Amino acid sequence: MKTLLVSSALAMLATLFTPAHASEHNGAAMAATCAGCHGTHGKLRNQEFVPLAGMPEAEFIRAMRDYKSGKRQSTLMGNLAQGFSDRDVQAMARYFARVK
Amino acid sequence: MLNRRDFIKAGAALACAAALPARAADTAAHVVIIGGGVGGATAAKYLKLANPKLRVTVIEANRVYVRGYGSSEVVTGHATMADLNVSYDALHQRYGIHFIFDTVVGFDPDKRQVRTAGRQTIAYDKLIVSPGISLQYSAIPGYSAALAETRAPSGWIPGTQTALLAQQLKAMRQGGTFVLIAPPKPYRCPPGPYERAALVTEWMRKHNPTGKLVILDPKDDFVTDASMQLGWHRLYGYNIPADFMKGMPADVKNSGKPAPIEWVRARDGGTVSKIDPKSLTVTFAGGSIKADVLNVIPPMKAGKLAFDMGLVDASGWCPIERRTFASSLHPDVFVIGDASIADVMPKSGYSANNQAKITAFAVANLLAGRAPDEPKWKNVCYALAGSDYGLFVADVFRLKDNKIVQISGHRYMSLDATPTQIRLGAAYQQAWLKTFTEDCFA
Amino acid sequence: MKTWLSVCALTLGIVSLAQANPAAHPAARTPTQAELRNALAAMPNGDALRGKRLGQQLMCASCHGETGVAISRNWSSLAGQTAAYTYKSLQDYQQRGRFENQRARLMQVAVTGMSQQDMADVAVYYASLKPAPSSAPRLSSAAHARAEQLARHGDPARLITACASCHGAAGQGNKLTPALAGQTVEAFMRTMHDYRAGHRITDANQGMRQFAQRMTLAEINDLAIYYARMGKP
Ligand SMILES: Cc1cc2nc3c(=O)[nH]c(=O)nc-3n(C[C@H](O)[C@H](O)[C@H](O)COP(=O)(O)OP(=O)(O)OC[C@H]3O[C@@H](n4cnc5c(N)ncnc54)[C@H](O)[C@@H]3O)c2cc1C
Ligand code: HEC
Ligand code: HEC
Ligand code: HEC
Repeated sequence: MKTLLVSSALAMLATLFTPAHASEHNGAAMAATCAGCHGTHGKLRNQEFVPLAGMPEAEFIRAMRDYKSGKRQSTLMGNLAQGFSDRDVQAMARYFARVK
Repeated sequence: MLNRRDFIKAGAALACAAALPARAADTAAHVVIIGGGVGGATAAKYLKLANPKLRVTVIEANRVYVRGYGSSEVVTGHATMADLNVSYDALHQRYGIHFIFDTVVGFDPDKRQVRTAGRQTIAYDKLIVSPGISLQYSAIPGYSAALAETRAPSGWIPGTQTALLAQQLKAMRQGGTFVLIAPPKPYRCPPGPYERAALVTEWMRKHNPTGKLVILDPKDDFVTDASMQLGWHRLYGYNIPADFMKGMPADVKNSGKPAPIEWVRARDGGTVSKIDPKSLTVTFAGGSIKADVLNVIPPMKAGKLAFDMGLVDASGWCPIERRTFASSLHPDVFVIGDASIADVMPKSGYSANNQAKITAFAVANLLAGRAPDEPKWKNVCYALAGSDYGLFVADVFRLKDNKIVQISGHRYMSLDATPTQIRLGAAYQQAWLKTFTEDCFA
Repeated sequence: MKTWLSVCALTLGIVSLAQANPAAHPAARTPTQAELRNALAAMPNGDALRGKRLGQQLMCASCHGETGVAISRNWSSLAGQTAAYTYKSLQDYQQRGRFENQRARLMQVAVTGMSQQDMADVAVYYASLKPAPSSAPRLSSAAHARAEQLARHGDPARLITACASCHGAAGQGNKLTPALAGQTVEAFMRTMHDYRAGHRITDANQGMRQFAQRMTLAEINDLAIYYARMGKP
């Protein structure tokens, strides 16, 4: 039973990386590079870093834009946000908003 | 759930099954990964996330992974050797990844088979290799693997040498000299030697206040250099060289007094020519010095396995096609992590983790007959100038003319970072050790 | 039902639910009533303008927002909070090791080196601001009625005292009792879960821990939305 649950959960997670999504300008693949801090699929339990899973698109886009412009202070997100175009950010926003 | 014994049995059963031709009519493709370090473990997990139907087997020499990142904290007693151990159980149980604990000794690229020391033959459709580094102990006259295990540890592949270095630091005489020999480029973990120097200096301020640390370096710069030196200056009274003063905050004034940490660069004669194994006297271009504790981080090349498999070029590293990290030398083989030639992308855990993901997606796509995506990679290395003093290098990379290039932007913690940013950086560094390990291994 | 709740918990970003050890952080301690009285009596007069500047310099704005309105679901709003409660909370982090979850570490860092004057200044600044109207979806009228019943009348059978009797009819708070109106749903939920699990032990008489333990997750969820939508008192 437990195994069944685990494997169906795995299948569910895996669909997030299926090509239909990945081809949306790489949102899923790009978002995966954030996981070293924000957790696999943007999911974290109890950590200093914040989870991104389920974040509404507008909230995510505003955060990235304000980091990039320097309007919002940060330790390092300001540096990282420089590396992503508006299109990149939108693709990641769509991806993270969809993770439940 | 499988218990540990089942796990081992399952691995053995799979090893037999795997010796059969790799792809019968409608079985899923078999991806074999050699090396269950940061690169290999992450690749295995993300292959399963990309396509749970793939059969994924990791061949790894050791049952427990000893992580290198964060291992300098063992030297100063902030962490124990046991803290460095990472289990493979989660990868096996959660994702159904198979593990074979054995050492790969060779492969047959035509038959697409891998051979192990335990005389197993494992067939693959695609092979991902993440063998890490080998240390060129004998590149420095007088230094050797034997000396590294007994008197002058390196501790750059974590293990017994890391523990030995910790003991030696504790036992060092009051007022003694800790000499750290930094490696030439390219090497694993660019800010690592300098972070270790900082943590040792911090430790000595508390436990050996008249002790002193000297870095002998064959380079004139290093990753995070300005921000790291600012940290040394603030915490240990380090004197910042004139050519690094540009952009420093206005209150930074060298005292000119001898500081407990000193960086002797190539241009100041820092290049080492030999070590006397008896007296631990180090001869370098600018003079000689007798070490009480000697930590040598020797030049590096790709892991031995990469040589055995014929995956390296004349540089001693593995040439790859950048988009997918496919080996330029053998078909159906991908080389990721420290061993690969990834241009400006540093040899770090974060890089290995990111390369693993992009390569896992590419392999899943290729097996499904799709073209790989346009890649973007990232690297962030956190580093400490002291326990509460965090800094970092952060980069985003993309492909340009089959080379990996940086997307411009600030790379380091800014020199006018506030005390809050600096302390938060240190808190996040500690958090990263956990979240990163989870992303790779759980 | 259980699944629904846990999905809900996940999307709301509750961080400490799943933590293995249900005990508070060993270094954290609960303030005594006397200690709070004395600290409040000794609270310096705050300067809101200086507080605003400090909010930038000390990075408070990067999480709690320039105008005290949480930048995302991951942080809490401070706009319209009582000065006494903000001041008290900062002292909890700095002097009594408040550590309700891992992210409290960030707050411990943020308050390092703050003087009592600094704390009073930011407290007065945030008290001077208006809470933002919430975008939380409206409760069904039945759920609203249940939430309102608990808020206004409590549940004597379960020894839950009316929230309003302490937090005010408009959720406006009073000195050491915090304002709830306009708090983000997620922060409200996080904090109630932390009380419930015994991770947050900053309540001097353990009242909030007990109330939270006597409530269901669904009730907490509804009250979070109820207070979030209450807007400006
Ligand atoms: C002191 C120190 C601090 C560091 N700090 C950081 C940091 O803060 N941030 C960061 O990002 N990185 C850091 N690193 C670097 C990081 O540890 C490495 O870059 C990373 O481990 C590289 O991953 P890899 O997969 O290439 O190699 P490894 O992780 O070394 O994995 C290689 C694996 O292959 C296995 N293997 C090798 N040969 C065979 C064979 N023939 N058969 C079977 N298995 C084999 C090995 O047993 C090993 O498990 C640090 C390193 C050190 C030493
Ligand atoms: C090395 C760790 C690290 C990596 C990698 C990283 N982040 Fe962050 N992220 C942080 C930190 C730390 C913060 C808090 C702000 C700061 O201090 O920089 C943050 C904050 C954020 C926030 C704001 C969340 C909120 O609720 O306010 C967003 C959005 C975000 N990151 C997105 C990303 C995306 C997208 C990526 C990948 C492209 C990424 N991050 C990669 C460390 C990281
Ligand atoms: C890096 C992000 C971050 C920074 C910077 C930060 N905080 Fe916080 N703060 C938090 C988190 C996380 C909490 C815990 C509440 C939560 O889970 O939302 C918190 C809680 C608080 C609380 C208690 C709220 C309550 O209702 O109990 C106060 C007051 C507070 N912060 C004020 C400040 C002030 C003042 C500053 C600047 C000196 C500051 N914070 C800086 C993240 C931050
Ligand atoms: C007896 C008075 C009293 C009652 C009744 C009461 N509270 Fe509280 N509540 C407090 C006090 C005092 C605090 C601050 C405790 C602390 O500092 O940790 C508080 C804190 C809180 C907080 C945390 C606020 C923050 O910003 O961190 C929430 C949420 C809350 N209460 C919700 C409720 C709800 C919902 C009810 C009704 C079910 C309720 N309270 C009933 C006195 C009360």
